[in-house]
Amino acid sequence: MDTASSAIRIRPVRYLAAAWAVARKDMRIYYLRPGNLMFGVLFPVFLFFSFAVGRDLPVEILIPGLTAMAMFFGSSSTGAMAIPTERKTKTYERLLVAPIPPISILLGQTLSGFIFGALFASVPIALGMAWFGMSVASSPVLVLAIALSSFTFSALGIMFAALPTENPGDIMMLLNFVRLPLLFVSGIFISLDDVGDVGLVLAAISPLTYSNDLLRWAVGGTSYFGPAIDVLGIVLFAIVFLALALLLHERARKSDRMAGKRKRAKEAASA
Amino acid sequence: MDAIEAEGLTKYFGELLAVDHVNFRVKKGEIFGFLGPNGAGKTTTIRMLTTLTRPTEGTARVAGYDVQNEPLRAKQHFGVVPEVSNVYDELSVWNNLMFAGEIYGMSKTDRRLRSDELLSLLALGEHRDKKARHLSKGLKRKLVLGMALVNSPEILFLDEPSSGLDVTSTRLMRDTIRQLAQRGMTVFLTTHNIEEANLLCDRVAIIVKARIVAIDSPENLKMTLDASRSVEIAFKKDPPGLQGWLKGSNRVNAVRKDGDKWKVFTSNPSEFLDSLVDYLGREKANLLSINTLGPSLEDVFVSLVTNAGKGG
Repeated sequence: MDTASSAIRIRPVRYLAAAWAVARKDMRIYYLRPGNLMFGVLFPVFLFFSFAVGRDLPVEILIPGLTAMAMFFGSSSTGAMAIPTERKTKTYERLLVAPIPPISILLGQTLSGFIFGALFASVPIALGMAWFGMSVASSPVLVLAIALSSFTFSALGIMFAALPTENPGDIMMLLNFVRLPLLFVSGIFISLDDVGDVGLVLAAISPLTYSNDLLRWAVGGTSYFGPAIDVLGIVLFAIVFLALALLLHERARKSDRMAGKRKRAKEAASA
Repeated sequence: MDAIEAEGLTKYFGELLAVDHVNFRVKKGEIFGFLGPNGAGKTTTIRMLTTLTRPTEGTARVAGYDVQNEPLRAKQHFGVVPEVSNVYDELSVWNNLMFAGEIYGMSKTDRRLRSDELLSLLALGEHRDKKARHLSKGLKRKLVLGMALVNSPEILFLDEPSSGLDVTSTRLMRDTIRQLAQRGMTVFLTTHNIEEANLLCDRVAIIVKARIVAIDSPENLKMTLDASRSVEIAFKKDPPGLQGWLKGSNRVNAVRKDGDKWKVFTSNPSEFLDSLVDYLGREKANLLSINTLGPSLEDVFVSLVTNAGKGG
């Protein structure tokens, strides 16, 4: 019989490979799930057009706003859909009994949301360039803005998915409770020049603000904070979201709340 | 070094005591059964051993590694078949196996070779490209077993392996478990199916109300219940007064009619058989069949569960 040690490579590279395997699996299974398409694609598009149509916004404001929103909803929805679904089908436990650290699992799920958001973001950019004749001031900054924003928003969704529930609706509801108010303080619909001091303080604590601002700089060459502050802001949010995601998922796992619920239900059934 | 060691393993869920200071050791290459009624603590024990649930007290070592302090090292040496068939319904049989190998860090070549081996071992070859959602319950169970074996583990944990399976699938699952044990794999299984424990296990631990009440081989456990030895007899036509004679015999502890047979419980079957021969001669009765039976594992289980219930 083969021994486990001969068949397995124990290296950090292995953990990254496992994260990529988790990401590819999530991409195959969850990208086209109705819940993901509804909350991650249709919802932000309709919401954006309901606010933007008739306001005669210039394309340099319209497309970065739509792109930022697309990534905000698209990236954060994938993990929020996948994790509770896998808790329900018990496939999440398959990952937990595999010899990979929790960070590999969370990183894989973050990568899946990141790729979804980045792909989705390319649609408004392509439409803006093809139909509206939009020009891009800095392509490298545009790529950087999409990459950083998608990753950060995906980590946000993973963080919320730490809520110990098997129902994706519970997480989506909580996530929308945070995402929707942030839309109105992040300079998407109301320019940061017009939000006042309190509005600016609120804008500063929203990751969407920096994403939208950086995209405006990449497309139109102007922004409120400037690219350096925007990049720093997005990176800080990414670190905080990932760290909190790791902490909260570990805490949820150690608390055994789900297993306790099942055990109590079993006791009640057998009594 | 034993394959699995549990010392004082205890789990509380809030106020609920799920597992109470459980101690046992499983030798390498052994098939060890954890037998108990629903809610006794079997699944919680297997979850603690496989790192899914943290013990409140006590320690567990799997393949020599402490499951709390060295979980990654322990996980490299075991595979798990949970009670629920947790396959990815959207992926094909082949892709489920390949994904399982990938998260165990196997190279693409190793994964392909091993997946081919497993398809052949589990007779899943013709279903290779089918999505898991289109598989029957029995085939899904086989796929879960395949995914647990993908990294050629030394130890296999199975939670209620044949739960919900039909007779053919159950037999195939049991045959596969026996084959794996013959190849040197240690098997730890939980079951509430007494027959399964009796047929498969080298040793059985009986767990009732969170505590282990007995650990031994099925045969040794049966020996503890002498009063349950019995003789089963069937007549072409029951002689008149048979029931009265059986109940009046001082060698008989109890009599039960099971369908067309009489089951006579006695602590001394040979003396009972002598008296039965005399009786048959006197009554000129036409005997159809006669069998002497030892106590079944079910008798032992019922006795232990009943005693544990009386104890509190």
